[in-house]
Amino acid sequence: MITLDGVSVEYENGVRALNDVSLSIAKGEFAFIVGATGSGKSTLLRLLYREMLPTKGRVFVGGEDVTALTPNQVPFLRRKLGIVFQDFKLLPQKNLWENLAFALRVIGAQPREIRRRIGDALAMVGLTHRCDSFPHQMSGGEQQRAAIARALVNQPTLLLADEPTGNLDPDTSWEIIQLLDEINVRGATVVVATHDSHIVDRMKKRVIQLDAGFVVRDEQKGAYQQSELEQH
Amino acid sequence: MWFETSRKAPISKVNLSSIEFLIQEAFTGIRRNGLMAYASISTIALSLGVLGGFVLVALGANNFAASQISKFEIAVYMDVRATKAQTEAVAETIRKMPYVAGVELRSREQEWARFKKENPNIEAAGLQSNPIPHSLDVKVTDAAKTTYIANKVRAMEGVHKVSDGREVLSRVMAVARVVRGISVAGVVVLLITAVFIISNAIKLTLYARRREIRIMKLVGATNWFIRVPLIIEGVVFGATGAFAAWVLLRLGGSYVAHTAQRLPMMARFSSDVTPGALALWLMLLGIAIGAAGSFVSIRRFLHD
Repeated sequence: MITLDGVSVEYENGVRALNDVSLSIAKGEFAFIVGATGSGKSTLLRLLYREMLPTKGRVFVGGEDVTALTPNQVPFLRRKLGIVFQDFKLLPQKNLWENLAFALRVIGAQPREIRRRIGDALAMVGLTHRCDSFPHQMSGGEQQRAAIARALVNQPTLLLADEPTGNLDPDTSWEIIQLLDEINVRGATVVVATHDSHIVDRMKKRVIQLDAGFVVRDEQKGAYQQSELEQH
Repeated sequence: MWFETSRKAPISKVNLSSIEFLIQEAFTGIRRNGLMAYASISTIALSLGVLGGFVLVALGANNFAASQISKFEIAVYMDVRATKAQTEAVAETIRKMPYVAGVELRSREQEWARFKKENPNIEAAGLQSNPIPHSLDVKVTDAAKTTYIANKVRAMEGVHKVSDGREVLSRVMAVARVVRGISVAGVVVLLITAVFIISNAIKLTLYARRREIRIMKLVGATNWFIRVPLIIEGVVFGATGAFAAWVLLRLGGSYVAHTAQRLPMMARFSSDVTPGALALWLMLLGIAIGAAGSFVSIRRFLHD
């Protein structure tokens, strides 16, 4: 599903966010990308949804070289992805239903199709009763579930989450991760960038650790830190 | 390809229900950004009102100057011995000249009768015979050609004297030129200012929504899908602002006209612009600035 081939990212101020990163994530996998703030997690995700281009190397998503996309093609890539952020990124002027409907309107879905898909997505995240609420009327956990529902309405084959639990308490965080896991079980590839060690340790999924832009660890059924795994 | 892309113009993928949605989006946007909409519309109304008011005053001033100039005529006095037939021949020649709007003959008998009527004691004063020659009043189509025509007429057979009021005319025309220059410069400056102020107001409303624009891009909206509702908003702002400016100008205009009627000099001070034409021009300008302002401003937020 995802292949990075010798990818380096250097910002204009000279900071190297990624250094010659090569990795691949298979279809249907659930992978954590961990590391301290500034280690390059977000940069890696931004390459995948083509928010930025690498300075060097190539990025494949679904077999397509996204570094070769023209600006006009980028929206069509994003419609195939579900993206979830730490700050939820819901449209503040729209209620929950309209936020989801917008994502579907964008792809030209018909009203009947829109109603069906929103119904399914809200049922999956358990927010059917909140569809008239505006983002500011919802709790952090509800907003993140709303954002996940929006990511789901387009039936993405790849779900990207950038610190999805960064603003949430531990219990709510766990609920959110459970939700992402369920999405993975249903067939989507899920990539989660996080520095939340609790959820990584509990999930025992693939862990890719970044440090100063280098991949320093990549193991199946890993923990947040290598030492913790050795203790067991 | 794993995902479908469209290299064609993205707008071609927009179907009927999408168009309906985009229009609906525009009005929802206006409703939910009420304060910003108010700010934009009142900015447009005031800018267009000031611009329109200046244009009307400038047109009035130019019309007034033109009306003063058109009052100038060339007076042609024939020799006292010249016959009426001879005078008519001269009149005919002048009529055929370019830039001549009309020639009116004043016969010496007619003028003498009028003169006697105005001065009943003149015969008693010893003036028995008619000393007044035949004369012609020549109206020109272009005041700038007055001297040219006067010189031609002066050379004609039987013409004694030609008076073209050159001194006064050239002074009035100089004033008219200054008025026109100031009007044009003022309109250009005010138009640029209005465009600048209005596009700034629109940029501000978009700045407040840049987060929204970013999110739309993240869920895969094409640039056109984001742009269309915002341009419709700009057009609605422009049209509403133009209407408000029109109302302001109509109210102000009727007050000025009412006051001016009491000043005899200002009776002719009119822009000759009908309310319908004023509405049309303001609308066109408002809509054009609204649409262009949105289009140009959105570009900045789409590409960062």
